[in-house]
Amino acid sequence: MKLVAFLARIDRNICNGCRTCSRVCTTLAISMIDKKAHVDPDRCVACGNCEQRCESRAIRLEKLERPRILSVSIYDLPREQVDALCIRAGFHPSQIVCYCTATRAEEVAAAIIKGAHSPEEITLRTGLRSGCSVECIQPALRLLEAYGITPTPPKGGWQWYGRTPTLKDIPEKVKTKYRNHGFCFDEDLRLLESVISSERR
Amino acid sequence: MRKPMIPAPARQSQYGVAPQFVTKRVAELPEMTSVMLSDLFRDTPSLIYPSDQGVAVVRDATRKALERVDMSMIKPEQSVNICASHHGFTMAGGHPYAEMLKTVRDVITERTGCKNIRLRAGVGLRFRETEEYIKAFGLDTHFGPHMAKGLAPIDEGIPIQTEIGTLYGLKAIYDADWIVHAHNSDVREVHFHRQVDRAVKPFGMSYARIETRSTYHQNLGPRGANFIARCIFTSDFVQSKFAFASFLDMSPAGVVGVDADNDLFALNDRMTVKGCQYYGKIMTLFGEIDECIAVLDFPCPVPYVFAAGVIYANFVGANTDLFDLDGTALPAYTWYTEAFYGKDGPLIDQIAPLNPAIRMCVHNYAWGGYPSAFFAEHIPTIVVGHEQAAVMSCDSQNVEYMRHALIAEDTDVAMRFAYRAARTDKVLIFDGAVGGVNVSRSLAELLVARAPAVSFKVDEVLLPKWLRQRGIDPVATLGMAAV
Repeated sequence: MKLVAFLARIDRNICNGCRTCSRVCTTLAISMIDKKAHVDPDRCVACGNCEQRCESRAIRLEKLERPRILSVSIYDLPREQVDALCIRAGFHPSQIVCYCTATRAEEVAAAIIKGAHSPEEITLRTGLRSGCSVECIQPALRLLEAYGITPTPPKGGWQWYGRTPTLKDIPEKVKTKYRNHGFCFDEDLRLLESVISSERR
Repeated sequence: MRKPMIPAPARQSQYGVAPQFVTKRVAELPEMTSVMLSDLFRDTPSLIYPSDQGVAVVRDATRKALERVDMSMIKPEQSVNICASHHGFTMAGGHPYAEMLKTVRDVITERTGCKNIRLRAGVGLRFRETEEYIKAFGLDTHFGPHMAKGLAPIDEGIPIQTEIGTLYGLKAIYDADWIVHAHNSDVREVHFHRQVDRAVKPFGMSYARIETRSTYHQNLGPRGANFIARCIFTSDFVQSKFAFASFLDMSPAGVVGVDADNDLFALNDRMTVKGCQYYGKIMTLFGEIDECIAVLDFPCPVPYVFAAGVIYANFVGANTDLFDLDGTALPAYTWYTEAFYGKDGPLIDQIAPLNPAIRMCVHNYAWGGYPSAFFAEHIPTIVVGHEQAAVMSCDSQNVEYMRHALIAEDTDVAMRFAYRAARTDKVLIFDGAVGGVNVSRSLAELLVARAPAVSFKVDEVLLPKWLRQRGIDPVATLGMAAV
């Protein structure tokens, strides 16, 4: 769940048309019109990436008169379906997967089941990736993959490139090689499994 | 009792309130005093900075450390990226780190004839933070036009093949023939890296793309996360570009020196020992505090304000031994722990409560730009000033912070309320004071009384255990006979 209280505004007089803003926009809300950036207000989730990376400082975030909430209900879906998707992806359903918005895995799973089939669509529906936009791309990709979807990165964009390994993917020979370094791979794996199997909510 | 030390000054930044809104520092209150680290622990290393000679000593120390480094791989016609990170600029006012960066550049030019030397400065989650430091410390002038650049994890990336699969780095970090890793040995986020491969961490963080950073904080585990950094650093790609490392050698009291090496893991081993030894003592001592009001009073995000080298995030977990890899799988606070808080509390029994000694938090001065709502949700928090509250509410990473925090008109009102509500007169101030810590008199007495026993326990029991857990032989390293 995310409260969107701001909207990116572009000063077309300052914009130099470099496209950086569109390359970092988590929801593909920015397009180029007449070589100037243009924000689709219905897609902007106010993550601030565009404002933070604009070299000409042509972008600012304006407070919305009517903030809107991004949220997906889990209650109109079979509980088992949502839970199963989370667990396949290696998450407890109640596990927080976005530290800025405190979005839980079950909400992302519900969004995917309801038709959000890319990280961008997940963001538009749940607000995941609308805070720092850094730490939560892997949960989105893992949950999509567990649902059988391998999304394609936005063409020409820098939004995201791909899924990366998890603890489960670390080969045994690598674990053995670093056994005495303090990384505690197997111990952490057991810990994560105990979280996933927890019956608490 | 000593007078309080001067806190780090407020800094002009888009991530915090303007300095004119920081009208009073908590260290100015009459009941405050200070304790020097050297008075707590006799083995506190001597400092080169701060000193009467200013940053000139850092310049000299850098030159001396670099004498041991081979730079023959760098040819005059080639390019070098000196890779830096934001955190260095928050220590001891930032000047020592900036001076080390400038000196590294100058020495490379003198020794190799290379002039195409750039500064690439990565960040945490405040994407323009190092841009601010580059200007503030004159690095743009020193490196020349368009040669000093702040980077963000959402900038263009490149895939890096590692022994566990593909990870992603920032293209601009690696767009030179050679890279120099210019960092520091401050332990800082021990809740994340657990003092395992601390020296390597930026390769998985400030030099890395979002995919890699998300892997660190979501795909690995609370003890193995920093393995990501090693994977990237040891990749053929990074090894083909790595020239050497230069580190500002830190202790909780200040700058100890400069260390440099062509072998990053050799440097890492040295700082692992010293980090456990010096930071381990003050962190363990802070864990002895039975009750207090924690005051945030430093220009950086909530978790990173620090007192005697200990960041607030680590004090929030000081009821657990953050260096103990066996006994503390999950620190009381780290992102994996936060992730495992369900709707009705922790999902598993192994999660310790946040440090119960923190009765209240007074947010006198701290920035946004890092997800911090979890702290305000679990620790009673008073934010000083409506302007500062607005900074948090307008921050996309902290939309929920002020839902959990109260607002006080000024510092005096906040502290009076905190004393009454928390029912303690012990105050620990995270204001970045160098050399020691600003505290209330009652807390000073506790720290002084407990320090000798803590020092003994760390030396004789904890340090040998911590080193063994990291594959370091304490007998060979410390010359200890009884371990």
